[in-house]
Amino acid sequence: MNPDLDLSLQRVIRAPRATVWRAWTDPELLAQWWLPTPMSARVDRLEPRPGGAFVTRMSEDGLEFLPHVDGCFLAADELERIVFTNALDSSWRPAAPEPVAMTAEITLLEHPDGTDYRVVVRHGDPAARALHEELGFHDGWGAVTEQLAALAESR
Amino acid sequence: MAQYSAQLDGVFTALSDPTRRAVIGRLGRGPATVGELARDVPMTLPSFMKHLRVLEQHGLIRTRKSGRVRSCELARERLALVDGWLAEQRAVWEGRTDRLERLVSGLEPPKEPR
Repeated sequence: MNPDLDLSLQRVIRAPRATVWRAWTDPELLAQWWLPTPMSARVDRLEPRPGGAFVTRMSEDGLEFLPHVDGCFLAADELERIVFTNALDSSWRPAAPEPVAMTAEITLLEHPDGTDYRVVVRHGDPAARALHEELGFHDGWGAVTEQLAALAESR
Repeated sequence: MAQYSAQLDGVFTALSDPTRRAVIGRLGRGPATVGELARDVPMTLPSFMKHLRVLEQHGLIRTRKSGRVRSCELARERLALVDGWLAEQRAVWEGRTDRLERLVSGLEPPKEPR
C-alpha cells in the first residue's frame, strides 16, 4: 500500500457475504450498481476465476455502449476476495490503460452486522516517488478525502 | 475534459522516468539552475536537457533564462493534477460501494448453504 497513489476504503454492508458476493459475480446484478445513474453498464464478460475475463461497457443513453473496463481477474476466492486488473486486458495482452494501470482487491469479511467490505486499489506508480519527495501535498489531500467522506455519508 | 485527460497523461508520462522524478524532487526544495540540476546526474548535458524539455512540455516545470543561466522551478499546480485524479478515483469507488450496498440490502440472501 502506497498512501500517495493507492486508495483504500472500508465499509460495513448490512447484508450477508453471500449476497455481496452474488452482487459482484452475477452479471445482471453487477450491471445494476457498477456505474452511477444516469449512466448504464453492460457486463460483457464476467469470469470470476484467476485469468478470467472482466469486460464492461458504459452508456449515457442506453443505446450506444462504449468501452469501460477491459481487464482480467487475478484471484476470485468464493465469498472472500476478488482481485482484478486492467494492466492486462481480457485476452491477457499487456495493456496501457489511461492514465495509469490499476489492480483492485475487494475483500469480504464476516461482520456481526453483515459484511466487512474492503477495497484497495493499487495504481501504477510512476508518480509515487516524486510525490514522496517533500512537496507538501498531503495536507490538501487529507482535506479532500474528508469532504468526500462527508458527501458519501450524506447520500 | 479531453484537455484535462491529455494534461494528466502528460503528467504521468513526465513522471515515468527516474531522472525526471529526481529533478521534480530536487525542485520541490526550491528553484535551481540547469547547471546545478545537471551536476547531480550521471549523464551528458544534452541528454539531461531532453529530460528537462519533457518536464517543461508537460507543464511540470517552468524555466527562465537570465543572461547565460537558465533557472528552473516546479509548477506545483500541474503536479497537483495527480491528487485531483486520485480524489476522483476515490469518489468512483465510494459511489460504487454505496450502490452495491443499496442493491444488496434489498436482495434476498441466496438459498444455497454457506
